[in-house]
Order: sequence, then C-alpha cells, then structure tokens
Amino acid sequence: MIVRLTYSPEVVEKPVLAEVILKTGVPINILEAKVNAQKGELVVSIPAKGKTLEQILGFFKEAGVITQKFTQILQIDFNKCTSCGACISPCPTRALRFSLDWTLEFDEEKCVACRTCVNACPVKAIAVP
Amino acid sequence: MLVNNILTNYIIEYMEEFYSTRYLKRIGKLSHTSNIFTCLPILDGQKILEVNILSESGKTETIRTIDEINEKIRKGDAVVLTAEEMIRLVESSGVDVAAKEVDVVTSGTFGAMCSSGVFLNFGHSDPPIKMTQCWLNDVPVYKGIAAVDGYLGATVLSETLGFEYGGGHVIEDLVSGKEIQLRAESYGTDCYPRRHIETTITIDDLNQAMLLNPRNCYQRYDAATNSTDRVLYTYMGTLLPNYGNITFSGAGQLNPLCKDPNYETLGIGTRIFLGGGIGYIIGEGTQHNPITGFGTLMVKGDLKQMSSRFLRGSSFYRYGVSLYVGVGIPIPILNEKIASTTAVKDENIFVSVKDYGIPSRPDLRPSVKKVSYADLRSGKVEIKGKGVPSSSLSSYKMAVEISEVLKKWIQDGRFLLTAPVEKLPKQSVVKPLEIRKKEPKVSEIMRTNVITANPDDDVKEIAKKLVEKGIDHLPVVDGARKLEGIVTSWDLARALASDKKRLEEIMTKKVITVFQNESIDVVARKMAKHNISGVPVVDKENHVIGIVTTDDISKKLVGGRTTI
Repeated sequence: MIVRLTYSPEVVEKPVLAEVILKTGVPINILEAKVNAQKGELVVSIPAKGKTLEQILGFFKEAGVITQKFTQILQIDFNKCTSCGACISPCPTRALRFSLDWTLEFDEEKCVACRTCVNACPVKAIAVP
Repeated sequence: MLVNNILTNYIIEYMEEFYSTRYLKRIGKLSHTSNIFTCLPILDGQKILEVNILSESGKTETIRTIDEINEKIRKGDAVVLTAEEMIRLVESSGVDVAAKEVDVVTSGTFGAMCSSGVFLNFGHSDPPIKMTQCWLNDVPVYKGIAAVDGYLGATVLSETLGFEYGGGHVIEDLVSGKEIQLRAESYGTDCYPRRHIETTITIDDLNQAMLLNPRNCYQRYDAATNSTDRVLYTYMGTLLPNYGNITFSGAGQLNPLCKDPNYETLGIGTRIFLGGGIGYIIGEGTQHNPITGFGTLMVKGDLKQMSSRFLRGSSFYRYGVSLYVGVGIPIPILNEKIASTTAVKDENIFVSVKDYGIPSRPDLRPSVKKVSYADLRSGKVEIKGKGVPSSSLSSYKMAVEISEVLKKWIQDGRFLLTAPVEKLPKQSVVKPLEIRKKEPKVSEIMRTNVITANPDDDVKEIAKKLVEKGIDHLPVVDGARKLEGIVTSWDLARALASDKKRLEEIMTKKVITVFQNESIDVVARKMAKHNISGVPVVDKENHVIGIVTTDDISKKLVGGRTTI
C-alpha cells in the first residue's frame, strides 16, 4: 500500500518513521520525500495488508502524522488509450506494463502519482485527479 | 562452417545484384533461422557504416498471380492470414506448405507519423476569397496553392494552445465529424474581393479532404536512450537520465515493409488500409533508404472514409504534435520467397539504440547497442551491465487489430489486391544537409587565457581576483587542469555573506560545459536553457581549454554574423 505521510511543524523533527519500523519490524520504503524545518511530506510503500497495515497507520496517527492512502491515483481513459506503451518505460516504479495481449495495464499498488506518465502520454489518456 | 560459407556467398551474390559492389565491403554477423537469414554487412561509401539487410531463401517460381488471388477473393475462397498467423504457420508446417496454402498475408502498423497531412478544398464563399492565410481551430493551414485549397500538416502547432493541440488533432477532429472554426485572410482582388472570412465547417462541408502523407510506415526505426544526467523530452518520448529507459517505434514483425523487404509486391498503386479507410501507395516516401533497410512509403486516401480510431492527434511533451496513423498492407503470396519474408519475426529485425543525449543529426548519434525488436519488446535491454526498461511508442495492439480488420475486408470480398504500376525503388540514398555558409564555432570566440582556481583556494582571495580581472566566471580545476566545478561572482557574494572559507564548499560541481567544435547557436541555446551566463570549454578528458560567456557572444556576433 502506498501512503502519503504529512508531518506538521510539531512532529517534523521526530524520527517517527524509524520508530514505527523498529516497533513493527515492517520494512517501510520511502519513495518520495520533501522535508524541511516547517513541514515534511513522505510517500512511502508499506508492505503490509489488513490489520497490520491499520496498526501501522495507527502508530503514525498517534505520533501526529497525517496518513493518506493512495487509491484511484491515476485515471486512465481506456477509450482514449491506444496501448502504445509511451508511458511504460518512463514509469519509475514499474506501475505500468503490457498484459499478454499488449493492452496497457496499471498496477495501483506500485504507483506513486509522480505524473511522469501524464506527460509521457501522447493522447492525454492519463490524469491524476 | 560450410553452411555459413554457402549462405555468405549467396548473400554476397544477392547483394551485389541489388546493392552494387561499391557499397559492399564485407559481410558482418550472420544468422539464420529456418529459411530466413539475416546479415549485418558493414558497408562503406555514402557514409553508411552499419547496415542490416534482410535476405531470404525460397523459390521464386510463381505459385499464383494477383488476378488469381482476386478471383478467389470474389468467390470468398481466398486464404488470408495475418502476419502473426503466418509466422506461426511457417514455424509449424514450413515455408513450402505455407506458400502453397496461403494467398494473402495482412500486415499492420500504428504509430506517430509526423510526415502526414491533409489536402482540403473548402469551396467558394460569396463574395469569394483568395485565402492567403488560413487557420482551422487556430492551427495554420498552408495556403501557397489555389484560392480555397490548403494543406494542413500534422505537426503544425495551434497559435493559441501550443503543444496541446495541432494539425494532427484537427485531422482527428475532422474525421470525428466535429465542428471546426475556419478563419482566413486575404489582400482582396478584382476576382476575389473578400478579405476576411470566419465560419465553421465539418468534414461533410469540404469538397475534398485527402489524406496525403509524404512519409509513413518506416520499415523500422532506431530505438532511443539518454546518456546525460537530465530528462530529455524528444519525439521518441520521455528519456530518463543515465540510460534510465529505452523507447522504440515500429511494428517489427507486423510492419508492412518488413513483410516484403525486397519490395516485390509494393509500389505505386498498391491498395492499402489507411486510417480505417482505403488508401493507396503513391510512391516511395521521403528519406526512403532501401539500402540500409529503412524504406518508407508515400500514401494517400480519402479522409472522409476514415475513422478516428486509426487516426489520432498526439502531443509529445515539450516536443510538439503529430498524428498516429494506422496503415495495413496486404502481401500477396506470389512465390515461396515472399512467403518466407512474410514470416520474418521480431527476432530477425534489428535496429540500433541511439543516444539522444548527443544533440547531433540522427545518423551521427552514437549507437549504444544493436538490438532486435524481440529484445525491445521483452521490456528490458541490457546497457552497460544494467537492465534498462524498454517500451514502444507505437501500438502493437493496434497494429494487430489493423492486420485483422484488413484480413476481414479481404475475406468478405470488400477489398481486392492491386499489382503496383511501378515497384518501390531499391536504390536511393539519404544525404545529410551540408552547411555551406560559415558558422561561428566556439573555438572562434572562446577566450583561451582562462583564469582558474583550485578547490582549496580561499574564498576572499578569489573574490579579490575576480574584481581585479573583471570577470564573473571562474572554473575550478585540479592540478591537471581537469574541471571540478565553477564559481560565479554571485556564488562568492553569497559565500562571503555566509562566512564560508574554502572554494570547494561553495562551487557548483555539476558544471554545464561545451566543446570547441560546437556551433555558437547551440551554445547560446544551452546557456538560455540552464539560465547561465558563461560556460567552460573542455576537451574530451574534461580539461579546461577556454571559456565562453554571453558577453563574448553578444560582442563578437552582430546580427548572427561573426565580425572576427
């Protein structure tokens, strides 16, 4: 599950992520990070599901970090999409690929909403709402 | 080895026949699968260094004629296979059986084809106008022809929307039946008094809308990658830094010209699938380069019959607009040799991976690797020991669909084959454009007495040096004059304010540099792009040999002409 973590000025200097990893033993991966003295925003991939995931999100919330799950990150208009593949190799997280019949496939779990594919699409079939 | 020698001799004979001995220096890598073999001869002369010509065996005795095939099509008896199906049949039953059984193989391709456009006739208004300038949805139409004729090219940008909308999009909107804003200007004449017109049109209002594409259907196309440390936005799509990805274009084993690489059935008058309607090959395309296996087609067809499923306006981010065109061509299986070429697979069609990080003309871009379409389509290609993701820009899925639609048309008796009036030329050479007017180069305006500093130098001392010499840019070099960084007067002002001591702490380490043989034009664009006012000139080993600043350029070049 890809999650955006937003740190307020009050918690931005605390090692919240490290504490959660130590507490749960789940190897959370940082995909994107924008951190300064005022604010922090991380996009992380949490390799967990169900109760474990909810528990991890709970730890972040307790520490004062706002969590937001990425769902419906990309909207691909398959009426417009020609399955050309122009978005596939530029995707940094390999969230886009071909199925066996060469139709474009999207793996939401892997997407970090970086918008690279939005620009790469020649027919404007991809949007990030 | 013996088999290889026989094949080599065969290819040499074959190639001497078609490509004349002066091109042929020696045969390179050779491989063969079933009855098809591929060779990579190294050619010299005409500046062609590496070439990939598809050759094939197979008997050339006529099995059937086009008239006989058409007779079968009329009766509904013709055996038609898509190129994918033909590949499978030849693999399972052999080329001799396939040649006997199959009458027609259908090919297809769907990719961005920039050399496309449409001739339009708007009809006369009352009072009439001799349109000298014309726009459709703010996209300029070429008006250097008769009063109400125009040519709308696929790559023209909208004057109001820029990269978002252009000629290709207008063509798609026309085909979709959408209403289009027409605006035109004129100087007014006795016979054409009107000077301005503004109205709306749809494709039904036009007398003619003729898709006429000077270059479509490239036989194959070199793939693209990027060695630099920044993202490149090109007509080959988004290219990530440090060989971050590979993009490629072309239908490979479905491409029409790859299915008949000897152009035995293709030429002027060949009836084809074009944009969802019926079209014709009207000759070889521009930059047709059969010697190197990069043939192209010029095609035309009635836009009014076409469909926006197979004609799509497109925008390449920070590059421009184009048109995705669907082309499908039936290949009549007249003999065993043609049957064998229609079964050529992605594994046997090779292209180079070119480095778009070097901003040279296409044939001078360094080739990083030779790969097959099968390698490219596998999604990963190894470059410098690293698995690099590769993906297409043209749609293989749509290419398959086109080959299937064309197959259906033929099976239904709606599409008859034609013999070309004249076959595509097999010998023509693509020449580069020579620049005959003298163009100022970096070496002519750079200053060679460059003042440099060392990483360990004291910030204050260096600030003093800059003021004394009246310069703004100071390359930082090591003992061997290799470039390590650069500091500007602005960096120094900031350093002094923040109390930093050593130059190394404040210098910019990622330096934009130029070579002395680059043209000033390119360097000026580089500086504007990176918003900098000076660049060190380095040699291949990154030694500083000069410096160029915007001041040098503006002082020494007046009105684009060098005064030195």
